[in-house]
Amino acid sequence: MFQASSTKQVAAGLLAAATFLVFTPSGRASDIEAGKTLSQTCVACHGPGGNSIIPGTPSISGNAAQAISMQLYNYREGNRKNAQMTPMAENLTNREMNNLAAYFASEKVAPPTHQASAENIKLGPALTQQYNCTQCHGPALKGIQHIPRLAGQQYEYLLSQLQGFKAHTRYDMDGNMTSAMSAVKDTDIPILADYIAGLEYK
Amino acid sequence: MQIKFALSALALAFAMPAFSQTPAAPAPPPAWKQGIDNTTQPVTLHPFAPIMTGTEAKDIQLSKLKVAPGFKVEVWADGIPTARSMAIGEKGTVFVGNRVGKNVVAITEKDGKRSVKIILKGLDTPNGIVYSKGTLYVAERTKITRYDNIEANLDNPGAGKLVVDGLDPTNGPGHNWKYLAMGPDGKLYFNIGSPENITMPLYNQAAILRADTTTGQLERVATGVRNSVGMDFHPVTKKLWFTEHARDWMGEDIPNDELNVLSKEGENFGFPFCHQGDIPDPIYGKYDTCANSTPPALKLGAHVAPLGMKFYTGSMFPAEYQNNILMARHGSWNKTKKLGYDVMRVVLDANGKVEKYEPFVTGFMTDDMADPPMWGRPVDVLQLPDGSILFSDDYNGVIYRVSYSK
Repeated sequence: MFQASSTKQVAAGLLAAATFLVFTPSGRASDIEAGKTLSQTCVACHGPGGNSIIPGTPSISGNAAQAISMQLYNYREGNRKNAQMTPMAENLTNREMNNLAAYFASEKVAPPTHQASAENIKLGPALTQQYNCTQCHGPALKGIQHIPRLAGQQYEYLLSQLQGFKAHTRYDMDGNMTSAMSAVKDTDIPILADYIAGLEYK
Repeated sequence: MQIKFALSALALAFAMPAFSQTPAAPAPPPAWKQGIDNTTQPVTLHPFAPIMTGTEAKDIQLSKLKVAPGFKVEVWADGIPTARSMAIGEKGTVFVGNRVGKNVVAITEKDGKRSVKIILKGLDTPNGIVYSKGTLYVAERTKITRYDNIEANLDNPGAGKLVVDGLDPTNGPGHNWKYLAMGPDGKLYFNIGSPENITMPLYNQAAILRADTTTGQLERVATGVRNSVGMDFHPVTKKLWFTEHARDWMGEDIPNDELNVLSKEGENFGFPFCHQGDIPDPIYGKYDTCANSTPPALKLGAHVAPLGMKFYTGSMFPAEYQNNILMARHGSWNKTKKLGYDVMRVVLDANGKVEKYEPFVTGFMTDDMADPPMWGRPVDVLQLPDGSILFSDDYNGVIYRVSYSK
């Protein structure tokens, strides 16, 4: 069972990587290589290959390049502010951001570090549909294009972002997340975060 | 590979377990989903976003673009992330605004070398941009500002002079970005979109307005326009022609987006009561009839997302292109089988009737069922003094030039 699912995960990863190469003009091997060289500072917090083990620090792997470069852009332009990330992004050029994005998008996703409660595993699927999470982030909450992957993301990070959108304090380019979160009950936010953080990326 | 990817996504969708316990009270839908009928609509559609850091010219697949014999497309400028509306000054400076950034850039040419410079910073949704008689006008979310003698002050344009403020009555999510055009009467024409997909608009919403360039005095010239992000004046008749996005969530193939022409001031184009001139809205249709509004000059197709349009008046293209409309279509997200992502040509006869509607630049769409279906999204069209045209692509942050030679 465990064996089978991890084989599937590798296959899905390969498929995603190959698809990504087809779709994204910037996803060339040379860009990925250039991004890897630049990534040393990033992985200090975001973990090897962008798989974070630090609560509150998001994993970067498993996102499409577009989602990664968009957030770097948001930090550089001051749309999102963070004591660690703002100075990191401030001096990056668009090309450097694209290369970093190409690299992290090509990395494999590690299994989740979080174990959701049995109760929330039961409630999660219905809630993520009712609150429209699956509409944009996809049926398996893996994200697509600029829409970030949620499955297996750090619990504390999910919690702070969802609360931020709900409180209108988290930057939201087109207002989609703010709008979606306005319907979410405060008491459902920890349930969503717990369920999603424990969800395997597959 | 693309097909395989789509199929595996579909398989996943069907493999999701259906939990039906704990039926909570239905939550109000988010703004973009407003008007959806969950029982009949597919729910895996999602909006697209530009690549915020742009795509470099070296990574643009120019060979995929198709134009008629004699025409040629090239990348004219890159490195302008989310490039949208364009305007050109008398000295040849090309100004570019955008919807999701905060800057206006100027592209200048010296000794055959083009350079891109940010001239205005910290703006709010500077999508509307027009140049006239030395002045650059910028329409942001809430206001229009004028920057006089702009081409002599690219290094320090200053804070500008406010023309009119208070143009975003709801200050919420919705169609709050503006398109700006200079009328033959010397006034600024712009849209205020419907705040939601489908709703009963307030007085100044879902309308095209015009403002005096110095006093800011406002007049409402067209109503019932859900959102128009492209307009131009016919070179001969001087009538205002404009593109309009129709509402979402009524189906794959309805309602059509519209190309409209204004024949009299204050004319009503139907929203929210009537779509494409002949489909009553399922909610608001009972409060007015289609007979009370002007039908479109041309139905453009459903969810094609027509944006910038310009009448061609240059001397480079063949004579039959004279006074044709060249129109950018941003392409759909609210549709399973995608459409658009191209530049279209609309030919009018001597009476202003549409004679032909055909592709001008295609090839951005690679697979109408894929996600994403395209690698570029045209936004606005601008004619250069030599008669070639530019069009912007906000997905890649690139501006292309289309030229012609026999």
